[in-house]
Amino acid sequence: MSHTVFHGHNVELNEEGFLTDPSVWNEELALVLAKAEEGLDQLTDDHWAVIRTIRAHYLETESAPMVRSICKTTGLPLKRIYELFPSGPAKGACKLAGLPKPDGCV
Amino acid sequence: MTTLHLGVLLAIAWAVLTMTFLHLKAKSYGIRKLYSKPAGDPAKGVVYAFTLGMAPWAKESVMMNLPSYGAGLAFHAGVLTALGLLPVAAFRLELPSFVLFSVRLFTLAGVVGGFVLLMKRLVNPQLRGLSCPDDFVSNILGSTFALLAFAWTLSPVAEVPWMAEAMLLLIYAPLGKIRHCLFFFTTRYHLGAFFGRRGTFPPGGRFHA
Amino acid sequence: MPELDELETRLVGLTETDIQRGLEVFRSKLKAAEASYLNSCVHCGLCADSCHYHRMDSTLENIPAHKLELISSVFKRNFTAMGRIAPGLVGAKPFNREMAKAWVDAVFGRCSLCGRCSVNCTIGIALPRIFRAARAALGTMGLVPTDLQATVDNSLKHGNNMAVTKDDWVETVQWIEEELQTETGDPGAKIPLDKQGAKVLFTVNPREPKFFPLSLLASAKVFWAAREDWTLASDNGWDLTNYGLFNCNDEQAGAITQNLVDAMERLGCQTLVIGECGHGYGAARWEGPEWLRKSYPFEVKSILELMDEYLRAGRIRLDSSKNPIPVTLHDPCNLVRHGGICEAQRRVLRQAVDSFIEMTPNREHNFCCGGGGGQLAMARYKQRRIRSGGMKAKQIRESGAKIVVAPCHNCIDQLMELNKEYKLNVQIKTVAEMVADALVLDA
Repeated sequence: MSHTVFHGHNVELNEEGFLTDPSVWNEELALVLAKAEEGLDQLTDDHWAVIRTIRAHYLETESAPMVRSICKTTGLPLKRIYELFPSGPAKGACKLAGLPKPDGCV
Repeated sequence: MTTLHLGVLLAIAWAVLTMTFLHLKAKSYGIRKLYSKPAGDPAKGVVYAFTLGMAPWAKESVMMNLPSYGAGLAFHAGVLTALGLLPVAAFRLELPSFVLFSVRLFTLAGVVGGFVLLMKRLVNPQLRGLSCPDDFVSNILGSTFALLAFAWTLSPVAEVPWMAEAMLLLIYAPLGKIRHCLFFFTTRYHLGAFFGRRGTFPPGGRFHA
Repeated sequence: MPELDELETRLVGLTETDIQRGLEVFRSKLKAAEASYLNSCVHCGLCADSCHYHRMDSTLENIPAHKLELISSVFKRNFTAMGRIAPGLVGAKPFNREMAKAWVDAVFGRCSLCGRCSVNCTIGIALPRIFRAARAALGTMGLVPTDLQATVDNSLKHGNNMAVTKDDWVETVQWIEEELQTETGDPGAKIPLDKQGAKVLFTVNPREPKFFPLSLLASAKVFWAAREDWTLASDNGWDLTNYGLFNCNDEQAGAITQNLVDAMERLGCQTLVIGECGHGYGAARWEGPEWLRKSYPFEVKSILELMDEYLRAGRIRLDSSKNPIPVTLHDPCNLVRHGGICEAQRRVLRQAVDSFIEMTPNREHNFCCGGGGGQLAMARYKQRRIRSGGMKAKQIRESGAKIVVAPCHNCIDQLMELNKEYKLNVQIKTVAEMVADALVLDA
């Protein structure tokens, strides 16, 4: 079990660096995760667009959106997603959006 | 032939019978019927497993542990030579001097090899952790057997302890890990058939690409 | 760690009946080959150096022979005369809660079933066959790590392991089809869905439509260039993955394989083509017929073999100068050592790239990336997975290549993590992506 310090509180992450409890997520926490897990010092508007899209989809369906729907909603081209999140949409973007780790080969 | 020789003969019979039983028991688990279409020939895989697949250069683990591999080879050569020497003793055969020299060389090498392996097993903490009493018993029985065979080539005085030791070794063989004298062959056969069927053995690539 | 607690709760709750059922299932998975394997280890310990876990973390627990011994000690105690008469002498041990816990740690937590120890074993023991039997036993006792089982459950429930809905899948395929048309400049370029009687039914890893569709685009472009008569299935049968290979529940694995068989029948295709995925190939090509206990009425091929055929037949032409960056190749265990496909990908790559550098060692001697055997789906063992992947990281670095080609999506995900953790600074691609980039398109 690993923890990352946030507002003086320990936030529980699983071994993969995903939030154990997705409901504790907020935008400040996304910044902490971005730094701790993805090495990103700041998040651009494009980053936020992707993160908010994923978060909204998750709150609605309890699952990660298809990369198709991320592109469609944000208007970003596919290749831009991989530039924004070096670890990819799953281990990068979904993690920052506070989702649990998706099942499968990711 | 003396009573002692008869005892060894009985021990051989015991070893052969029990090994046969172990073999039949393992076989009684049944052959798996396979439905996938083979990509290669299991027979070729088996041939490879028993030939080039056993070459030291075919195994990284051997290349990284050549001293242990050498000790193992010497140990097995010594024990097998000592086994081959049993009928020579029983039938009082005369060995040509160069054969006798080889016998002494191999049995002595076997003792050294066995001792090296035993020390390694005692000293290396991971290998010790991997071991059970059987590993030590089997090694000591084999090493002593080779040692007494070597002694016998020097003096017939060693015959009685050597034969007694032979009986112990043969009686113990099927009970512990020395049963690998049988299961080595069946295991390698199954490995070769498995990888042969899948087209991995013999490795075409490395030598032909 | 909540997940561990969960598993530990299940361990604590084990009853004598669970233990007995575990033993029965274990025994039911053993045939003559396994009985031979379980009788033949001499504890020489040379296998230690063959295992990527042990190479990166030299402990007793990581020696393949030690993992095997945990299982053979139980075998001896329960199924051999000497194990009953003199357990202390031959190292026979009872199967109980502690032993079950040790099994979980060894066969789920310290093994990717890569089989590198098999080819290095002094005797020739195919250790993963035994570890698979042990996983099956643990499965019947409810001791499969939750996230690994969840991936299997997804496939059983949704027809694919990421719970992608049919609408999402179809929409993504249509989107990639548009991309294909843009990329080829051919408005007639298609990604056929449910084309009845197509020669080839192509299958993909759900990871592709969900998060990484560029590899699907690349495969489609190769099919387009080769004028292949191919299709994808819109319903169950488009997902090539089968984590039943890893939880080792043969019934569940068979049910997942059945999706592919049904799709082949439904669409009347001749060849089932498995996209670039090691375990998916192993599951569909080798284990599937065994799980279903019947031979397929169709052929199964990897897309690697298909691309190799296209090149040999002149159906596609490549210009390697389009890929000038030095490339090395990772050999997925389930595709190469356990799958028998060693050369097709090499023949293809040599034509697709300017500079192809072999990793050392390679082919059946390859090192696992560390993500195999379901490791990628078991979060609890992440630290070990990343650490054991150090061998692969070292190989990649020593190759000097800047692109690592891996014909396996599972490996790719692990390699992406290794890239980050070990700062390798490489790109990771599929074979089809290299081929698609090198295609010479007729005017």
